[in-house]
Amino acid sequence: MSQASIRLTGEPPVKHRELGDTIATRQLYILLRILALIMLLLAFFPGLNPARVTALVNKNMSLFTSGTSYTSLTADSGRALMRGWVSPEAFRMLYAGSLAAILGILSLVACACMSLGNLRYKRLGNGILMAGSLILIAGLAGIYLAYRQFAAFPEQNRVNASFPDAIFLFAGLALLALILGLLLQFALLPRAPLGMKYEMHTRYRLFLMFLPFAALAFVFAYLPLLGWRYAFFDYKPGGTLDASNYAGFKWFSFLFTQSATRQDILRVMRNTLAMSGLGILTSWVPMALAIMLAEFKSRRFSRTIQTLITIPNFISWVLVYAVALAMFSTDGFVNGFLSILGITSSQNYLMGSESIWLKMLAWGMWKGVGWSAIIYVASISAIDPQLFEAATVDGAGRFQKIRYITVPSLLPTYSVLLLLSIASILSNGMEQYYVFRNAQNAASIEVLDLYVYSLGIENGIIPLSTVVGMMKTFISLVLLFVANSVSRLVRGENIV
Amino acid sequence: MTGITHKKHKEGPLGRAFNVFNVLFFLLFALSCVFPFYYLFINTISDNTMVQKGLVNFFPIGINFNNYLSLRDVSDVGAAFVVSISRTVLGTLLMVVASSFVGYLVTKKQMWQRTFWYRFLIITMYFNAGLIPGYLNMVMLGLTGSFLVYIIPGIVAPFNIILVKTYIESIPAELEESALMDGAGYLRIFRSIIWPLSVPILATIAIFGAVGHWNSFTDSLIFMQSSPKLYTLQHRLYIYLNTNTNLGALLGGGSVDSATAAQIMENTLNAKVIKYTISMVTIIPILLVYPFMTRYFQKGIMLGAVKG
Repeated sequence: MSQASIRLTGEPPVKHRELGDTIATRQLYILLRILALIMLLLAFFPGLNPARVTALVNKNMSLFTSGTSYTSLTADSGRALMRGWVSPEAFRMLYAGSLAAILGILSLVACACMSLGNLRYKRLGNGILMAGSLILIAGLAGIYLAYRQFAAFPEQNRVNASFPDAIFLFAGLALLALILGLLLQFALLPRAPLGMKYEMHTRYRLFLMFLPFAALAFVFAYLPLLGWRYAFFDYKPGGTLDASNYAGFKWFSFLFTQSATRQDILRVMRNTLAMSGLGILTSWVPMALAIMLAEFKSRRFSRTIQTLITIPNFISWVLVYAVALAMFSTDGFVNGFLSILGITSSQNYLMGSESIWLKMLAWGMWKGVGWSAIIYVASISAIDPQLFEAATVDGAGRFQKIRYITVPSLLPTYSVLLLLSIASILSNGMEQYYVFRNAQNAASIEVLDLYVYSLGIENGIIPLSTVVGMMKTFISLVLLFVANSVSRLVRGENIV
Repeated sequence: MTGITHKKHKEGPLGRAFNVFNVLFFLLFALSCVFPFYYLFINTISDNTMVQKGLVNFFPIGINFNNYLSLRDVSDVGAAFVVSISRTVLGTLLMVVASSFVGYLVTKKQMWQRTFWYRFLIITMYFNAGLIPGYLNMVMLGLTGSFLVYIIPGIVAPFNIILVKTYIESIPAELEESALMDGAGYLRIFRSIIWPLSVPILATIAIFGAVGHWNSFTDSLIFMQSSPKLYTLQHRLYIYLNTNTNLGALLGGGSVDSATAAQIMENTLNAKVIKYTISMVTIIPILLVYPFMTRYFQKGIMLGAVKG
């Protein structure tokens, strides 16, 4: 019973929590957690990769990648290995060293997590910490040995071995961690009394369960922000970022001063705004469809139609393109059908750039309008039937009921969706336009997202495309805030 | 609720005209959503010579399933199919487990700094470092050219976490409290109470997640530039749609004489039929699960409107 009540309030037994919990240990543990976090971040930072002992290791690779993916580590060295400039053993040594270093850092993190528990946890964590820092140091030693091997290969102009200064940084931090561990374990923390159980405050237990997912979000959503620094360098794929190619705001002013780029941006912005604008102008269509669907006497008929017109929403844009080809290309259905009627035609309706904006709108609507209507269908079915009955008694006709009951009850939903679509006016996505792009329509189909893709990925102009992407992110955020403020002002509710 | 505005109501001429228009409009619209798939299908099961001449428009001619059988010999399509299936199964599974677990954790008020951490996840829906920084990040992590790039970034899906959290909050708290009383831990409660009770919402996010994985094209395009073996089926289809090869050439027809090659071209997969057949292979899984999906539509879209 006492156990249960303890769990309910989330408090571990008081005497155990207080054991070894002094101001000194508390401060040292805070230091230790910060140290673990810093080392974890450093492991992701390519500029400080101790495993980069030779120019054959890619400049943009972090210690984490070097220690987890042998394929990436040797990705640029295929030729060097084949010609025998370096031996695979040296690379294996480098890989093993990096892996050990990563494991050491992870042990530090594990200790930082365990330090949230009671004395028993803390002492176990310290053991792991000390072992981890030793493993880390051993790993760094392994990397150093690998460096010695690389430096001994005769083809130095190819191998370009160089001692990575980051080893000192990591070794220093590892030593600091080791000293902290020794201090805590043997000087500051008392021995755990016999029979003490592993216990941790509920709030920290829950937090630690959550932590791996926060880490994933950090790595895939926050860490890319680091990539914005490419906007300030004259970076070429495979190159490096350092003081020598620092470019300041060159690429930002490039947008406005270079006439070719400026014209590209203007053209792309025109396409983007035109297509988003057409989308916004037709944003009432799903609502209209939902109202029309609600007018069928047979519920079953209405459901069936709804099911059928929602199908295109669930196929990819590539498949939409496949459908478009099957229907409208030279040997597609339309031409085949025309020839049945005795009209010989071999026109490819997908080529050419005339009215491409409208065509894209049409495909977008074909794909999405049935799905978008569903939310309004649901809203209509949520309207109180008594409203309609009362209106009927008052002698209202069918269209009057639509005008005075259905439409007003749908407008709040509509206004939210409209505001959201205005906020995302710059984000059309690239998939639709990528698949429908061809030599003839490329200029008028290229929206901002596709432009960034073709600039950065297809043409390798990383800094400029990063700048464009940054601009887009900022403008979109501002638009989202504006839309939210408008919504708060008009409806008194947030939309985000 | 349908037909509610004209219940027990005498139709005027305008109303009748509207009814006729309404039925016709939706029949045509529904036809436009179904016919293309029917057209693709009849062309893949017809005599390929007829297909090449453009004679198969409404009905199949000379029904046979050889095209699907010959597709087995096109190895890159098979590989792409395996990649797409694997990422759909694995990616969806991990996403659902993670979303349900995280969705459960963020309902726990005792969690240290819960509000901060919840916002830390949710805010990622509203900003985006951009395509290029995202790509460079994957390069830095060594994930380009690796199957993991399809799965790991999608594990934490903020929107689905919101859906699950909202759903779990609607489960009576007494259930959990009594389990806590009985000494069950959080993991145990999650496994034996929360998980079974949230099956409807988990099914919803699983279905939408699976469709998303199956349809994914852009990540294959961006991250697999030098690993064609890991192209998704959508990516492979896109490539086939834009090339005009026939199966004779694909299978290395160099060893056969030109007459035989011509024969192969006529009778087996010509460019048009290849495109149609791979398209069908890509659509069929979606159409198979589609009937089961429809009942989750409204749930999914309505829950999306209730953000917490």
